[in-house]
Amino acid sequence: MNNEIDILKRALAREKSARKSAERILEEKSRDLYRISQKLETLLAEKSAQLQGVFENIIDAYVIIGIDGDILKFNDAAKRLFEYNIDEEPINVVQLIFPEDHEYAMNSFLDLKKYGYFKNYEARVLTKSGEVKWVHINASIVYDVGRVPIAAQGIVRDITEIKNLEVQKEKLLKKLEGSNDLLQEYAHIVSHDLKSPLRSIDALVHWIKEDNQGQLDETTIQNFKLIETALEKMELLITDLLDYASIGAKDTLKEEVNLNDLMRDLQSILFIPDHIKVIMPKKMPTVIGDPIKLQQLFQNLIGNAIKFSDKTKGEINIDVIELEGYYQFSIKDNGIGIDQKFHNKIFEIFHSLNKSKSSTGIGLSIVKKIVDMHGGKIWLNSELDFGTTFYFTIEK
Amino acid sequence: MKGIVFTEFLDLVEDKFGLEMVDYIITKSDLESEGVYTAIGTYSFSEMLQLLKHLSARTELSIDKLLLVYGEHFFSVLETSYPGLLASYKDPIEMISSIENHIHVEVRKIYPDAELPTFTVVDRSEKMLIIDYTSSRAMHHFGLGLMNKTFEHFDSTADIVLEKIKPDGTEVRFVIHKN
Repeated sequence: MNNEIDILKRALAREKSARKSAERILEEKSRDLYRISQKLETLLAEKSAQLQGVFENIIDAYVIIGIDGDILKFNDAAKRLFEYNIDEEPINVVQLIFPEDHEYAMNSFLDLKKYGYFKNYEARVLTKSGEVKWVHINASIVYDVGRVPIAAQGIVRDITEIKNLEVQKEKLLKKLEGSNDLLQEYAHIVSHDLKSPLRSIDALVHWIKEDNQGQLDETTIQNFKLIETALEKMELLITDLLDYASIGAKDTLKEEVNLNDLMRDLQSILFIPDHIKVIMPKKMPTVIGDPIKLQQLFQNLIGNAIKFSDKTKGEINIDVIELEGYYQFSIKDNGIGIDQKFHNKIFEIFHSLNKSKSSTGIGLSIVKKIVDMHGGKIWLNSELDFGTTFYFTIEK
Repeated sequence: MKGIVFTEFLDLVEDKFGLEMVDYIITKSDLESEGVYTAIGTYSFSEMLQLLKHLSARTELSIDKLLLVYGEHFFSVLETSYPGLLASYKDPIEMISSIENHIHVEVRKIYPDAELPTFTVVDRSEKMLIIDYTSSRAMHHFGLGLMNKTFEHFDSTADIVLEKIKPDGTEVRFVIHKN
């Protein structure tokens, strides 16, 4: 009997202890749960505040739509953009799509469903007042905890202005192209029209001289010579002007140009008097550019050096050095030189320093234009009476 | 080891052999918990081993036999406590196959620190299932008891053959043929 009571007492004691132990464990669990829920609540409040901040402060329109396309949320920017107050009038995203862009929009929605997002969507939308606006949209699907899609969110940027500017730019470019072509054509016609009276005058002068052979005095003969020189100069001016106008008007070629070959050709074209020595580098590089224009470039600069040589022993030194990203060429002469005060002006059109009959003041403008077209720079070093060095670069 | 395994075990011992037997095996064992168990606590597995050892010695029933009966009893605990879990199955083979991927997942939600055995399905058809049990506790007969009752629950029977992959019983293959 005593034994049985002891067993029961022990069992009872165990049960009591177990109950207390369970209570303690549960209390701890409750406290843990309370702490966790407090933490989560704080975190949730923090995140909600952050999200609300983003939602309200974002400059672009922010839109949340349901899976069926019904607009669930618009931020203020979205309300302004679409002009709808969705709290008062429920709308579906389909209502916002510009009819012509419907197919593109539907394809983008399919992408959104398939991949979970789309980027750089650009299309037109209709606002409440019927205004058409261009928008750029990045969108993504919002999933619930179980990865089930519950909504889609998108950031919508109004790009109407940019689009309009783009269209305007395109129009302007087209117009400019047209004007350029017209100008080119015009330059040809004008030069032709200008040259034919010159030729007539030349012929008339010739006839007058012939008809009055032996009857003209020295002064008249001298004056006729001056007329002929002026005519030649005029003709040269027109030719150069036409050259200048035609650079850049037509499509510029971009091909490999072996400057060694170019120089060889050039030596046979240029008239180099016996007292002038032209020194070429052993090896010239191959550059990318327009062969005819590059030849014109060297021809003009070397031609100038020959033209303005005033020493009994003229020397023209051509050189090239290879630098990072480009080649730097130099053409050095020991001719008349150019006064420092003209260095800035000589590349301007019609700015001839020398009033000789063979100089129109267009040559260096052409040179500069060609160098510009090949992504290079041109400059010079010169001292009056001692000579000039022209430097220019051409991109590799 | 989760407290519910101890409390249910001692309840069953009391049921089958009386309170005196409970008192005996507790007093006989050297227990850190002093035999005080609550379902929501966690206790050392060695305590279960001692209790089983003394019960086996006293009743002259093998530990495997005791664990088999205990497993069968434990199924009723599941039936009472988690009827929803059982209701989600229509078939015993389906339910046993899902131990690892569904039932244990649910167990961990309630007892995150539970140390559970691993069940790997080796082969399965409508009427047959081969599943491997792996656990350092070697309580395969507890599993066998649960399986027996699972078939009973779905009003069916099965021949379950238990093959030890490792002699110490830490890896065991169950070959189940549903009748």
